[in-house]
Amino acid sequence: MNSSQRQEVKLSWEDPVTSEYQNLLVQIPIALGRQLNQMPGEIAQRQVSRVVLNSSAVSRYHALIDWENNSCVIRDRNSKNGILINGQRRKNTILESGDVIEIGPYEIIITWGGDNKKSIFETNRSQIFFNPITNSLDSESEGIPSVVTTASESDRFPPPEFATPLQVSLQDIYTSGLSVDEIDYLTIGAGIGSFVFVDCLRIFGVTADKIIALGIDRKPYSRYKQLCLNSQIPLKERLRSNSDSCPDNIWGFPSYAWREAWHDLLRLRLFDAIGNLWQVFAEPTLAQTYTPRAGNVFDSIDREIKRIGWEKMYRYGRVLAIRKTTDGRYAIAYSRGTRDKRERAFLIANYLYLATGYPAIKFLPDLQAYREETQDFQSVVNAYEAHDYVYENLKKRGGTVLIRGRGIVASRIIQRIYETRRDNPNIGVIHLMRSPKPKGNQFKKAERFVENHFEFQPFNWPKACWGGDLRFQLERADSQQRQSLIADWGGTTTAARKDWRDTIDEGLREGWYKIEFGQVEKVEKEADFLITYIKNKNFKSTIHLQTDYIIDATGLDADVKVSPLLNDLVTHYNLPLNFAGRLAVSNDFEIEQMRNSTGKIYAAGAITLGGPYAAVDSFLGLQYTALRAIESLAASRSPGLKKLSPLNSFQQWLKWLNNRSPDE
Amino acid sequence: MTPTLLGRWQTRIVLFATVGALFTLPFALGIVGPDASGIPFLVLFYLALLGLIWDVLYNYLQQFRWDRDWPAVFQLIAGLWEAIFFSYLVEFIDLPGLEPGVPLQWFAIHYSLVWLGMFAATHTLMRILFPYWRFNGGQLF
Ligand SMILES: Cc1cc2nc3c(=O)[nH]c(=O)nc-3n(C[C@H](O)[C@H](O)[C@H](O)COP(=O)(O)OP(=O)(O)OC[C@H]3O[C@@H](n4cnc5c(N)ncnc54)[C@H](O)[C@@H]3O)c2cc1C
Repeated sequence: MNSSQRQEVKLSWEDPVTSEYQNLLVQIPIALGRQLNQMPGEIAQRQVSRVVLNSSAVSRYHALIDWENNSCVIRDRNSKNGILINGQRRKNTILESGDVIEIGPYEIIITWGGDNKKSIFETNRSQIFFNPITNSLDSESEGIPSVVTTASESDRFPPPEFATPLQVSLQDIYTSGLSVDEIDYLTIGAGIGSFVFVDCLRIFGVTADKIIALGIDRKPYSRYKQLCLNSQIPLKERLRSNSDSCPDNIWGFPSYAWREAWHDLLRLRLFDAIGNLWQVFAEPTLAQTYTPRAGNVFDSIDREIKRIGWEKMYRYGRVLAIRKTTDGRYAIAYSRGTRDKRERAFLIANYLYLATGYPAIKFLPDLQAYREETQDFQSVVNAYEAHDYVYENLKKRGGTVLIRGRGIVASRIIQRIYETRRDNPNIGVIHLMRSPKPKGNQFKKAERFVENHFEFQPFNWPKACWGGDLRFQLERADSQQRQSLIADWGGTTTAARKDWRDTIDEGLREGWYKIEFGQVEKVEKEADFLITYIKNKNFKSTIHLQTDYIIDATGLDADVKVSPLLNDLVTHYNLPLNFAGRLAVSNDFEIEQMRNSTGKIYAAGAITLGGPYAAVDSFLGLQYTALRAIESLAASRSPGLKKLSPLNSFQQWLKWLNNRSPDE
Repeated sequence: MTPTLLGRWQTRIVLFATVGALFTLPFALGIVGPDASGIPFLVLFYLALLGLIWDVLYNYLQQFRWDRDWPAVFQLIAGLWEAIFFSYLVEFIDLPGLEPGVPLQWFAIHYSLVWLGMFAATHTLMRILFPYWRFNGGQLF
């Protein structure tokens, strides 16, 4: 590139908080840093493009990209943590199109000239939706429609009364002739988040007849279990979850490790029992972190389902719209029909708790494009889709798999392939990563541990995010600081399990597992193979990788606007979203703009990421959310809810222990 | 666990005043140990006081850990360290009310019981009585 051309360059990166793709077309010179006003607005009478990167690992004015002797050069501005170019530490260096600049948790790709054409990563729709009827991932589904339109306008649902006014009147709803029920507490989703909330309500004194959980699956863990099984966590496998993170037990005692130890002891497996207890005693420093088996977690939830009478409170339904009512409550329009039979109804509730989980599954745009073009849904899959046949075929015929993403799901898939290789050693893995990872995230005095380009952390956030000083820090922070903190603590990590680390070492040594770096240009089908074209930094040219399968293990996140229900709510009431594009909630998880005299709406789970709490999408985080919401409800004297004194809490715990109903 | 400094202090004071006092009572009444006296309670008081200072150090060390946590095994090491430090301290310094030469074996028994009781309480009773406690870094108020 020539300086006289004043060409635009493109900076693109994956947002460390939401993992959405960001693209910026800017003119050189470019300043990169944490604070706008610390970066120069002009250099030698040329306007500077200032790019703000929010993270404490980024210095206020971190680096400058400018022309020097007709080359594009990046200079480190005495930053505290330095810069990496294509994984190598550099002070000053000449940049080439396609180079990866790493600053703190940001991995920015710079491109110009012919490389600058609109990238496939700029397409909008790159998700897989859950089928509204079956609730399983369905690449042809469009998600839950927010309005069911039928032939005649009078048959519209939700009815026209829901269309414009901010409040609907009860009278209008009753005259519709459809079934209407009234309830004090309603939770939407009926997944793990809803279950934990209902469990807390019951323990805090609310009787089952005051609660409804509305959702598509009878079991609260149905969707979760499906995602676990698809992403290769069979029931006997261990989750990535803390021992005292128990969705069936708000106290976290006895934790899963204690229960497992007890179970082993009864079967006279003394060493196993001691092993489990040693793990929770010494983790994560002297022992590998204990995590419960998936099957044990589901069984424990089943027991709690019975104990609290979940089945009496659960109701099948797909929620289409939520409106404030003129009497200070909320009207919920939902469909409870099946494919063949249409049935609609309303619920009127005083308090709402939204826990609808992931609106959709993220799918890499180049893979989405490949699928749309070829209609091949078999060889290119998302790790969260059912894809067991891939391993069956590999077992029979061998082959090569390309894995994208380096988080926990990638680890599972490698484990599964490792196991399959025992039956057929002719299986290879190419692990494609965008850039090398020589160094982990930094936060103040601590740094995350890295090995073989995997970044390790016992859980998906540093532990103190759940209930330590990091939780308080985030809660106190303003929106901009929150963005920086979440960028520092989050990112793609996996658990430092010894078996996984050994597998990677073994695979690298034996050559069946390879790591490649580069950015994908496109994926095509040639003969019987998939060809992934990547820009490879070492060869400075396009190379192609030939594989039989591609598995996208990059992530789950999706914007709340992807959910028709939430999108309708956000647009109808003009609700603010936080910097991560999720629902803005108060420190006790209320959507304050939805307050309707005494009526309140709370939100939990992934739809609140970017707010006062980092670990919202976890068992323990969902329990925290439920406790905060209940504390706030109790303060406003909502029906049947009592503050839990230490004595009450102890009595409730004894009931849990003896498997007796909370209201006995 | 992931305690905050405030949480460490509050939990320490509460546990010393309850579990600690309970386990000290038999020693003070002379049911266990040499003879009935207020000394075991004085020892308990000094241990708690020193502990509040140690907590500042532990909290500082925690900042170097990525997870900002405090594994149970660290609780044990800290407990041993506090005991050793205290037994040397009474050897060499006259703490008001404590004469040098506190019988070491009785101190060891008293201290171990108090420590075990408090360790067990942080992993069981505190969680059962105060469901918010573990989410608040050990803060109760
Ligand atoms: C593979 C995997 C492993 C995980 N492992 C762990 C772990 O080990 N430990 C941990 O703490 N966390 C883990 N998590 C994270 C988290 O705890 C779970 O995802 C958990 O299920 C989140 O609960 P939720 O209630 O937010 O969502 P879900 O459990 O998914 O429930 C949401 C429900 O809402 C329903 N819904 C959505 N829209 C509507 C509508 N309009 N009308 C009616 N119903 C609707 C959906 O059908 C769904 O059933 C894991 C997540 C995944 C995907």
